[in-house]
Amino acid sequence: MTSDSVLPDLVTSVTSPASETVNSDIQVRFKTEEGRLLLILPTEAQTFTSVTNWNDLWQQMKQRLNGGDRFWQPQTPVHLIAADRLLDGRQLQAVADALSEVQLQLKCIHTSRRQTAVAAATAGYSVEQQPSFPALNPTPTPQPIAEPLYLQMTVRSGIEIRHSGTVVILGDINPGGIVVSNGDILVWGRLRGIAHAGAGGNSKSFIMALQMEPTQLRIADFVARAPQVLPEQYYPEIAYVTPEGIRITKVAEFSKSQFLSKP
Amino acid sequence: MSRIIVTTSGKGGVGKTTVTANIGMALARLGRKVVLVDADFGLRNLDLLLGLENRVVYTAVEVFSGECRLEQALVRDKRESGLVLLPAAQNRTKEAVNPDQMKQLVADLTKVYDYVVIDCPAGIEMGFKNAVAAAEEALIVTTPEIAAVRDADRVVGLLEAQGVKRIHLILNRLRPAMVQVNDMMSVQDVQELLAIPLIGVVPEDERVIVSTNRGEPLVLAETPSMAGIAFDNIARRLEGETVEFMDLEAAQNGLFSRIRNWLFG
Repeated sequence: MTSDSVLPDLVTSVTSPASETVNSDIQVRFKTEEGRLLLILPTEAQTFTSVTNWNDLWQQMKQRLNGGDRFWQPQTPVHLIAADRLLDGRQLQAVADALSEVQLQLKCIHTSRRQTAVAAATAGYSVEQQPSFPALNPTPTPQPIAEPLYLQMTVRSGIEIRHSGTVVILGDINPGGIVVSNGDILVWGRLRGIAHAGAGGNSKSFIMALQMEPTQLRIADFVARAPQVLPEQYYPEIAYVTPEGIRITKVAEFSKSQFLSKP
Repeated sequence: MSRIIVTTSGKGGVGKTTVTANIGMALARLGRKVVLVDADFGLRNLDLLLGLENRVVYTAVEVFSGECRLEQALVRDKRESGLVLLPAAQNRTKEAVNPDQMKQLVADLTKVYDYVVIDCPAGIEMGFKNAVAAAEEALIVTTPEIAAVRDADRVVGLLEAQGVKRIHLILNRLRPAMVQVNDMMSVQDVQELLAIPLIGVVPEDERVIVSTNRGEPLVLAETPSMAGIAFDNIARRLEGETVEFMDLEAAQNGLFSRIRNWLFG
């Protein structure tokens, strides 16, 4: 899979028009905003398909924390956006402990649930209680793409990273791991799992990896799997959509051709 | 400061319990006070491998329910006085225990013992959660097969999320001859994928089966075996010693040439 010459090996097919709009709201998110860090939990309504219980949420949060721990500024105040999720005192304490391990401070809880507000106030955090969110009104207006997500981690088997912007992974994606993004996916390492770029339907998205040996590549509605025969030498490669399906080229050649094709 | 180590793998049948029994015994022979905790409630095996089955009176579940004191449930090894076993209940399931109980239990054990080694059941459900709840370090046991390595990878991810930072890899049942002819994943292949430090490579050894059936851990055998030496080396590395990795291929060639010499002299 080093160059276009092996293209016939790259089996490409178009999936049934999946209505999957990648919505990173179903995973735990971190977002920087005006000198504070927002820790956004998926709302109850959004999670019944993927994350169902506290344990899964907890794992996701730890993964994201570990994946970005070089970048957190010590003592940054964190606001926990719990929305309609019910949290008890112990869970709040667990979040605070996890944050303090990477020297972040839980300061404030945003919630629409009275019990959560009471638990947070009892534990001594400031509370912002909003009225219930207008539940179940997914706005169908096109959303602007989110800021890139940068993670330093190995995406191991069973780990799924979903993000509504571009995803940069400094590390490997192992077999069984999956990264889904509305934008591009850059892997500064080996891509051996599944990468799905432009999952919202943008077939102009790219997948780049230093070593491309994926289980499967998906861009928008296109799917490709790697050839059976592994190349002898690996180069940084890029996958993109052409009218014939997904193609892979050496990055060096790709940027050249991009330049030359520009009018 | 005592160390709390969980041996885990995800996949079953890769040798977690054998590794636990042998490393526990090897550590005890190095003069450490070691307690092995069988966390495989409902499917206990560790007592068999240690040959202590007929000495089990109480189990961890009776300790949790207050039917006996912790000291009463601990079974002292007949050969090494530094080694004790806390057996799991055979008649309960993994749901009979919760992570907080395990944490409390292990905390009590650390007051007396230098090493608390927890033998984790296969899978990543309740039994796994119980076993890793109290752990501060982990030994990942895997064999050079893609299914085992894939599961090990998943488990490493879960341990990392749990906050277990010190994770070491034991590659079990390696067959150097098969690696040489490219029929088996090599140590490098496995390590490249899992990206965790290696603490030991244990070659495939028929004597493991014999030792299991007899309830005599290999490290006790009078004539040393390759696997037994490998387990000893892992224990010494845990202790902080720098021990060279055995050259398994050379050892095997050596054996072959020795046999050839003996036959055709």
